[in-house]
Amino acid sequence: MSKFQILVVEDDAPVRNLITTTLKAHDYRFATAVNGNDAVMETASHNPDVILLDLGLPDIDGVEVIRRIRSWSNVPIIVISARSEDNDKIDALDAGADDYLTKPFSVEELLARLRVTQRRLVQMQSAGGNQPVFVNGQLRIDYASGCAYLNGEEMHLTPIEYKLLCLLSQNAGKVLTHKFITQSVWGSSWENDIGSLRVFMATLRKKLEKAPGSPQYIQTHIGIGYRMLRIE
Amino acid sequence: MVYQTQKGHTEEHILVCLSSSPSNAKIIHTAARMARAFNSRFTALFVENPNYETAPENRRRLRENQALAKQHGAQVETVYGEDVAYQIAEFARLSGITKIVLGRSIAAQRSPLGKMMLTEQLSFYAPEIDIHIIPDGSAGRIYRPVKVKNNHKAGIWKDAASSIAFLCGTTLLSLGFYRLGFTDANIIMVYILGVLLTSTVVSHQIYSLVSSIASVFIFNFLFTHPRFSFTAYETGYPVTFVVMFLTAYITGTFAIRYKEQAAQSAKIAYRTKILFDTNQLLSKAGNKAEIQNAAAEQIMKLLGRNIVIFENENEGLSAPLFFPPDTAWDTSYDLEEELDTARWVLKNNHAAGASTNILPDTRYMYLAIRVGERVYGVIGIDAAENPLDASEQSILLSILGECALALENEKNAREKEAAAVLAESEQLRANLLRTISHDLRTPLTTISGNASNLISNGSSFDEKTRKQIYTDIYDDAMWLINLVENLLYATRIEEGRMTLNTSTELLGDIVEEAMKHISRKADQRHLSVMHEDDMILVRADAKLVVQVIINIVDNAVKYTMPDSDIIVKTRKNNGMAEVRIADNGSGISDEEKEKVFEKFYSGSNKIADNRRSLGLGLYLCKAIIAAHGGVICAEDNEPKGTAFVFTLPLEEVTLHE
Repeated sequence: MSKFQILVVEDDAPVRNLITTTLKAHDYRFATAVNGNDAVMETASHNPDVILLDLGLPDIDGVEVIRRIRSWSNVPIIVISARSEDNDKIDALDAGADDYLTKPFSVEELLARLRVTQRRLVQMQSAGGNQPVFVNGQLRIDYASGCAYLNGEEMHLTPIEYKLLCLLSQNAGKVLTHKFITQSVWGSSWENDIGSLRVFMATLRKKLEKAPGSPQYIQTHIGIGYRMLRIE
Repeated sequence: MVYQTQKGHTEEHILVCLSSSPSNAKIIHTAARMARAFNSRFTALFVENPNYETAPENRRRLRENQALAKQHGAQVETVYGEDVAYQIAEFARLSGITKIVLGRSIAAQRSPLGKMMLTEQLSFYAPEIDIHIIPDGSAGRIYRPVKVKNNHKAGIWKDAASSIAFLCGTTLLSLGFYRLGFTDANIIMVYILGVLLTSTVVSHQIYSLVSSIASVFIFNFLFTHPRFSFTAYETGYPVTFVVMFLTAYITGTFAIRYKEQAAQSAKIAYRTKILFDTNQLLSKAGNKAEIQNAAAEQIMKLLGRNIVIFENENEGLSAPLFFPPDTAWDTSYDLEEELDTARWVLKNNHAAGASTNILPDTRYMYLAIRVGERVYGVIGIDAAENPLDASEQSILLSILGECALALENEKNAREKEAAAVLAESEQLRANLLRTISHDLRTPLTTISGNASNLISNGSSFDEKTRKQIYTDIYDDAMWLINLVENLLYATRIEEGRMTLNTSTELLGDIVEEAMKHISRKADQRHLSVMHEDDMILVRADAKLVVQVIINIVDNAVKYTMPDSDIIVKTRKNNGMAEVRIADNGSGISDEEKEKVFEKFYSGSNKIADNRRSLGLGLYLCKAIIAAHGGVICAEDNEPKGTAFVFTLPLEEVTLHE
């Protein structure tokens, strides 16, 4: 578990220290980079398992770093943004980032995000590509037959709800932006589609979650999108 | 056609009066020289008189004179009106003219009734303006425009008929008196009365003159010895005739003049009333739109024509506003040409369109709504089928003048207000900085102090003390984080950058998100969330509304004792989404319910954790909710405590399957 290699890209020394101290305390191995070019070099030479990437770098924009890395690598990227503007995060997610943290963040939050990403990695490695069946906690989706089961019982989903569930499950652990979801499901991302998305997501959750108030499977990221959580 | 306007002019503004007189050119030259000497603005004015249409030769000369004035850099204007002096004076007053240049022959022109000279009238109407009289060469050859009467044929016949009728009536009555043996004196009086009555109905002096002469002859013919001849035996009769004629004529003249004056003053009274009403309406109007509406309605009422108004939007035309509102462009006219004409008016500050000689092929006549050089808008008046007459023109110009002045006042008031707001926000900024620097000191002191303690002798503290110190640092840091968040939004509001990034949101999601960020002190309270309907969709900027809920709940946590209940409830109510955050604390007074939303207001209650608040949280809530088109208020909770209730607009979604 702790053999994961993490690349920390952060130009601000106190924040970098905070992150590395936390990682050290939890037995993670890590390397650091202080700007975008270093980050790309480091990724290419050391092939880390996870990248923690600050968006506000002195040389090149964080989103650009994501694009460059994504051109050859699928390594999970968690972006750290000091800007409270959602658009930066959405841009980063659309460029291929997997998750995000907003400064100021708590240490617990950082560790939780790392665990989510690790589980996703383990899942990806053991599965190795497209599986015919997806299993997550009590949820089972049989892609071949187009059926979803919860607690062994078949769920009665509308075509859109099923599409949404498949999309989320195929990207489990990853935050999907509204734009990404609406474009995948409806082929467009008009204002009205966001409204529809909210309604279908709410009905899907009603069928999926025991307590929609504290969701187990699908997490809402206000202003950003949704994510399916991996359940151990 | 672009008129030159001289740049860098002084306060002087010279006006030259145009006419079709051949000597006018000389006056224009002189005035132009004056304008250059004073380096002043130069305007040439022609007063078009409606009753007479000048001969083609005069028209041509007038055009030449206008062209000459333009060559000299004058702005050429035309006004319409019967009273030339009044029109000149009114124009001069509105355009800020300081000097008027006139030719001597025109200056000395008297009205046909021998009233005042033009100069005297001008100095009467506009006493503050200099009048310069220029000798215009053609001495002795006083110029009179060739007048062609055209539309008074019907009037002539009517007046002649009534004069004859009165004469006949008088004669019949006199014959009756004669039969009854009344004296000559009575008969003469009857004739004088006849002329007087005639004068009250006819429109020109000539009728009373003719009637007077006719009366004398008829009297001579019918009633003096020898009867039925134009001779009279008695030696006193010639005197009688002359006196009778003079009496009849003079009373008749007075009657006509009185009638004219009555008509004139009725006209002036009507005009004054209209202008007064307009003024009243305009002064009541609060903003630009209301001013335009008031003026447009007044003009519409007065002229009974359709009107279109454009505002001046950054030196371009706004979308047209039609009066009455249900009218639109006449499709039989070229819309582009209408708009081009209106644009031309805006640019050149000069009337154009139908019934003018600039771009006359339009449906509307376009006039600038202006004060001096500043054009506030363009008004179009439907004048294609029947042009405005002179009195309509002149009153229209007066109303437009008033309207432009009102617009200018409104603009000045707005600028003043903006300056005041700016000053106020500067003041607020100063307050904010002072308050912040004061309030930041407390948490920063505890954070740095605690940290320094841990550095120097952390190992000597027991586990429990250390834990307490860590918790304090963490709490103060969190407090600072929330403060910074609120400050960020507050500066956005102050700078007027409160642009909402709205989308369709599930109210439940927003509440859940907010609950994740509630301060840890809430752990000691019983916090619960209830959704009456779990599918409430709202149109909102989620981040901002999350901040609203955080602020209210944190506030509730701050002002209640541990073990209190805090309930967040959502529901649909009256077509709005409603969020109610209630606690069972000690409640707040009615007086404070209003005040809590004010900036930098900090409750007088004992605060549980004893920290002074910045008084920004609820102020922000109010600003955010208001920007969403909702309302927020504080009310009493039953049985005890306070409830904050805010609403957000509901969103309807058509589902895409």
